[in-house]
Amino acid sequence: MAGPVLELRNLSREIPRQTGDPFVVFKNINLTVRDGEFVSIVGPSGCGKTTLLRVINGLLPPSSGQIFVDSREFKETDSELLMGFVFQGASLLPWRTSLKNILLGLEGQRKNPKEAQEIARRYLELVGLSGFENHYPHELSGGMQQRVNLARALAVEPKILLMDEPFAALDAQTRTFMQLELLRIWSRAKKTVIFVTHMISEAILLSDRVVVFSHRPGQIRSEFAVPFTRPRDMDIKSDKRFVELENTVWKQIEEEVKLTGGFAQM
Amino acid sequence: MKGVRRFGSILCGLLVWQIIAAKINDTSLIVSPWVVVAKGYEMLFQTAELYPHLYASSWIFFYGFLLAIILGVPLGFIMALSPLVRDYVNPWMTMLYTTPRIAFAPVILLWFGISGGSKVAIVFLGCIFPILINSYYGMRAVNREFVELARSFRLSRWALFFKILLPASVPFILAGVRLSIGRGLTGVAIAEWFGATEGLGYMIFFAGQTLNIPTLFVGVATFALLGILAFEIIRKIEDYAVPWRKRLQAE
Repeated sequence: MAGPVLELRNLSREIPRQTGDPFVVFKNINLTVRDGEFVSIVGPSGCGKTTLLRVINGLLPPSSGQIFVDSREFKETDSELLMGFVFQGASLLPWRTSLKNILLGLEGQRKNPKEAQEIARRYLELVGLSGFENHYPHELSGGMQQRVNLARALAVEPKILLMDEPFAALDAQTRTFMQLELLRIWSRAKKTVIFVTHMISEAILLSDRVVVFSHRPGQIRSEFAVPFTRPRDMDIKSDKRFVELENTVWKQIEEEVKLTGGFAQM
Repeated sequence: MKGVRRFGSILCGLLVWQIIAAKINDTSLIVSPWVVVAKGYEMLFQTAELYPHLYASSWIFFYGFLLAIILGVPLGFIMALSPLVRDYVNPWMTMLYTTPRIAFAPVILLWFGISGGSKVAIVFLGCIFPILINSYYGMRAVNREFVELARSFRLSRWALFFKILLPASVPFILAGVRLSIGRGLTGVAIAEWFGATEGLGYMIFFAGQTLNIPTLFVGVATFALLGILAFEIIRKIEDYAVPWRKRLQAE
């Protein structure tokens, strides 16, 4: 078994307030992720899961605690590119074609342009968009935009891929299709993935492990290993174990939501 | 369809003008559009007296306008990126922006003389503010997610500027440039009213003093055509530089 590629130790983030106690977004997060593992984080809205992803990526500093990547401590000021971030909105640069959007990350890596082009093309092909190199984002559908977004994050060959509800803005059909696509792409790219979602079935379908967050301040409430081998397809969704796991996770989230004042508060 | 409507609109306007001119029937106040067209034709192709004025005004406009772009865009960027500079420059900018430029004209003429320099300075003063302000807001309005994206990819500050902030600001800058055309032309007219011996503004002023109504209208029409021409050039540049979205409306 491969060693941990990512380790979070007592990670907390709080925002100081002018008066009173600081606003605690999440606290005491301890999480170890193996190389090549696909871990999903689910939890009630506003539990800090997206903020956690941002802290892991170094977009925000933690208030306390440490992040280790390959047993080396990672700080938000580090310039080395270790992680790819797939944003919720596709956040594609509208003035760049899909190929040039994918090239953005590679340009920061001081790769030679020809090599970078080849890599970008390879990842565009991987996400199934060969032939769309010269299309601008506004000429692509939402699903296609997310594919480019994914290719852009993968193209820099990060150790860890962080995905922040990447399919949340898609319609239900496209979303299901993109989940299957992600399964296929992941099986080929073999990346360590931290995937934040509020959709439990999505988390189970995609992951090796599902981490359930408590209500804010977010803490890890429980973890579940997903008992399905790969490759997977949609059929596992009707498997008894899948449905049971989905129910168990749902009950926990429901409890967390009730603790914050119920659904009316959402 | 759009073209037909526009053409129709202009035709209707000319017709209304014609009717009013015929009703008033006093060529010392207003002449019919056809007289203006005939006069323009004469000044262009027979006496050729329009050219020196057109030439003088065009250059003044061009230099003032260009100088405003060259200085306004970087200054707007610096203000957007440095709170320190912003705090120092802002009060001056607001003051200069809100003061009517015509109030500055005599002072500038006093300082720079009746040379081309003072005229360019007046045009410059008219053009710079829309450009500066739009460059400033353009850079401040850049989607936060794009900035996070750059941060996530560990791009350098240099790359953040040239690959994200600058291209994202281009539509705003061009909208500001478009806005400044009208203000720049107003500057030309003002500059040439105060002590000039040539230029469209001088021509209009002189024609007004001597009750030469056809020439006066030719001058006004030439200004309008100059504005339209400059506007269309900027639009073409926008189509080329910002193909990914509709033009920002000039506001």
